[in-house]
Amino acid sequence: MLSFTLRKLLTVAGTMLGIAVLTFVITNIAPGDPARLVAGPNATEDMVETIRSEYGLDRPIVEQFVIYMKDLMTGDFGTSIVSTRPVLDELLRYAPATIELVLVAMLLGIVVGVPLGMLSAVYKDGPIDHVTRILSISGVALPAFWFGILMQLYFSVELGWLPVSGRLPLVARPPDMVTGSLLIDSLISGNFKTFNSALSYIILPAIVLSFPCLASILRVNRAEMIEVLQSDYIVAARAHGISSRRIVAIYALKNALLPTLAMIGLRFGWMLGSTVLVETVFDWPGIGLYAVSSALASDFKPVIGVTLLIGFLFIIANTLVDLAYAWIDPRLRRA
Amino acid sequence: MSDTLLDIDGYSLDIATFDGPLHVLKDINLTVRRGDTLGIVGESGSGKTVLVRSVMGIGPKNSDVKAGTITFDGQDITRLSDKGWAKIRGVRISMIFQDPMTYLNPLFSIGRQISDVIAAHERAAGEGVSPKSARRHRTEELLDQVGLPNPADLFDQYPHQLSGGMRQRVLIAMALAGKPDLLIADEPTTALDVTVQAQVLDLIKSLVKKLNLTVVMISHDIGAIATIASRCAVMYKGEIVEQGETNDILGNPQHDYTRQLLAAVPDIEAKPARLMAAEAASEAPSKPTKLLEGMNLRKVYKTRAGGEFTAVNDISLAVNTGEIFGVVGESGSGKSTLARMLLRLVDPTAGDIIFEGQNISGIAGEPLRKIRQHMQFVFQNPHSALNGRHTIGDAIGEPLRIQRTMNRRDINARTEALLDIVQLPRNFKYRYPHELSGGQKQRVCIARAIALNPRLLILDEPTSALDISVQAQVLDFLQEVRKELNLTYVFISHDLAVIRQICDRTIVMKRGDIVEQGDTEQIFLHPAEDYTKALIESGRVTSRAANMRA
Repeated sequence: MLSFTLRKLLTVAGTMLGIAVLTFVITNIAPGDPARLVAGPNATEDMVETIRSEYGLDRPIVEQFVIYMKDLMTGDFGTSIVSTRPVLDELLRYAPATIELVLVAMLLGIVVGVPLGMLSAVYKDGPIDHVTRILSISGVALPAFWFGILMQLYFSVELGWLPVSGRLPLVARPPDMVTGSLLIDSLISGNFKTFNSALSYIILPAIVLSFPCLASILRVNRAEMIEVLQSDYIVAARAHGISSRRIVAIYALKNALLPTLAMIGLRFGWMLGSTVLVETVFDWPGIGLYAVSSALASDFKPVIGVTLLIGFLFIIANTLVDLAYAWIDPRLRRA
Repeated sequence: MSDTLLDIDGYSLDIATFDGPLHVLKDINLTVRRGDTLGIVGESGSGKTVLVRSVMGIGPKNSDVKAGTITFDGQDITRLSDKGWAKIRGVRISMIFQDPMTYLNPLFSIGRQISDVIAAHERAAGEGVSPKSARRHRTEELLDQVGLPNPADLFDQYPHQLSGGMRQRVLIAMALAGKPDLLIADEPTTALDVTVQAQVLDLIKSLVKKLNLTVVMISHDIGAIATIASRCAVMYKGEIVEQGETNDILGNPQHDYTRQLLAAVPDIEAKPARLMAAEAASEAPSKPTKLLEGMNLRKVYKTRAGGEFTAVNDISLAVNTGEIFGVVGESGSGKSTLARMLLRLVDPTAGDIIFEGQNISGIAGEPLRKIRQHMQFVFQNPHSALNGRHTIGDAIGEPLRIQRTMNRRDINARTEALLDIVQLPRNFKYRYPHELSGGQKQRVCIARAIALNPRLLILDEPTSALDISVQAQVLDFLQEVRKELNLTYVFISHDLAVIRQICDRTIVMKRGDIVEQGDTEQIFLHPAEDYTKALIESGRVTSRAANMRA
């Protein structure tokens, strides 16, 4: 298991390198002159040239690549034009909010999706199955921004139960930063009032973000459960006198969980991408919102930074899924 | 305590299907006394598995008991609740299954699976679950009881780390966990190699004696039934057509079906008909020409652990034009890998393949495609070798379309001609595989293989997925086709009786090596190697049982 983990970590490094190279290539083959974009429409030719040499864009492409890679290695993601602050600092500031949102949404998707999938497999074609079918179809069909606005209108404006947008009320004092997650940090500092408030802010965006993920986890888990429940070893377990409840909850679920896990890994990356929409709707101060505002301002260094960060998080998530796979399935553990 | 342990009385069962109810079991009457060993013989679809699963309350979902009762030890268990079953299933009646790989959960360790069964029984008995260490101790006891070495190490191993025979022993250990009165064995040896089969049957036999078990064993293997069962019942199309003492039934079958079934089992002792015919004709064999040669063939697979696994180890062979060349061996002996290499479906690690004087081991692309016209493959399982969404006509016409030499009308005509050759009605070309029986499907596979007029057919266990009575038909048919089309066969099988019946020359393989080769009759009458002797001996058990009548 240890060597398996080490091997996986090596692959992570390789993939990261690949992403870095790819991001560089794409930004360079993309049409348009970044120097001119940065300089703005009214800039003179001289200004454009100054910016070009300032950003090193006048050097040969190979040299630019070497500098780019060297900067990345030392954690230098460049400087944002709009805020004139290092991109890395800004990423570190915005990332915790996004990670917190995605993890809460993921948790919601798993905690609700897996049991519902299991139930609808056990009571296949029964009322539960029909209800979950409607739930899962609408989950993949509803666009996040529309669904998000609908939720705001109903739960915030109409009922007034939950705040419309943001992460904390303006007047609230955020807890001391430890992990960057408001929920965890407020618990650490024992400030339950802030915790409740942070929770009320995260509920709506988390639901909106997790809905499609929940739907697909539910469907995959249902399909797998149905197949596993028909397999020979389940028949054997019944014949050996193990109770139905135990068979479903322990024996069958573990087998059905494998493809569901793969789904979770994929959905994680998809969620990180979706934060661009959800964070915009809910004004959630994360990297999605940061990426959108930077892109609109033609501030390209932050966009590269966000791309690399999302790629990195996606790889981490999928590596964890791989490790979980090996942990669950003994056949995958290499000798 | 009454003497009767299990009593099935006038039991009829329907299964609801899309096309209306299917009468799967019809008026079954069966009585099993304490200490009995009852064998139920029948081919696939005879309803024997549904019957024994009904006894355990794990029958098919959409089933409906039409009439009759099943009584176990005086208690009516025909329509028992789940709660009622908890005290019986696995505890008083337990079951072992056909394929020990698929019946063990791959994600749980052996020890965990057995101790969970022990815990379930304790829960059902309402005595509270004993501590982990106690269950572990009991598990190791059970593993020891079924003859598995090092139970302590085995406890933490997973099913995929064990061999087929060991897995079956684990399943038997699980079945014994509840100290059952009645043990139901559903084809317990079918998925195992012949030499392992004998060991597992011996184990069951000794356990019956030691633990005073009552056994109901179902099998299509008459040899296995004869080894275990003192009484036996013959099932055919949902009915019991005959029952009585095993010796009486095998020695003096009353029902037509039983007679047919016994006659279809190849007789390993019989001198093959082809030899007698050859002697009568006394034709001087012309000097054989070599059609296919393998020279120093080797195949090494890389294992996941980074090691190497030698599937075929430096094998040389020559197949003469017009002969049937037999390859015998158990699973894992490398016979399928060898066959696939000869056809270049698998690339050899080393060695040469020479077909009609041309070295084909290095060729690729178009030349390889051209050569493939002349050599075709028939797979073991006709149920999975045909694409379920293609009609029979599509399947047979496929090689013709791939070789792109014929127009549609010609392909159609050729398809019909091929259906004629394999003796299937022409309108079968509109049907889909699921509408055909196993034997019919294998004929379709053969038709597909001979569509391009090949010179060589490689048949990989072409009858082992079929029922015995169908196997006999397919074997006869293969010999006819060969004569008619002047084909050469490489025939792979684990069944020695079949090999003796049809093969001219044979090689015996074990773990990637040839242990013995030569004239088939010579090998049979004077086997030189212990391994060959063991294979022949295990084949004899079945053959003797089926051919004991005068």
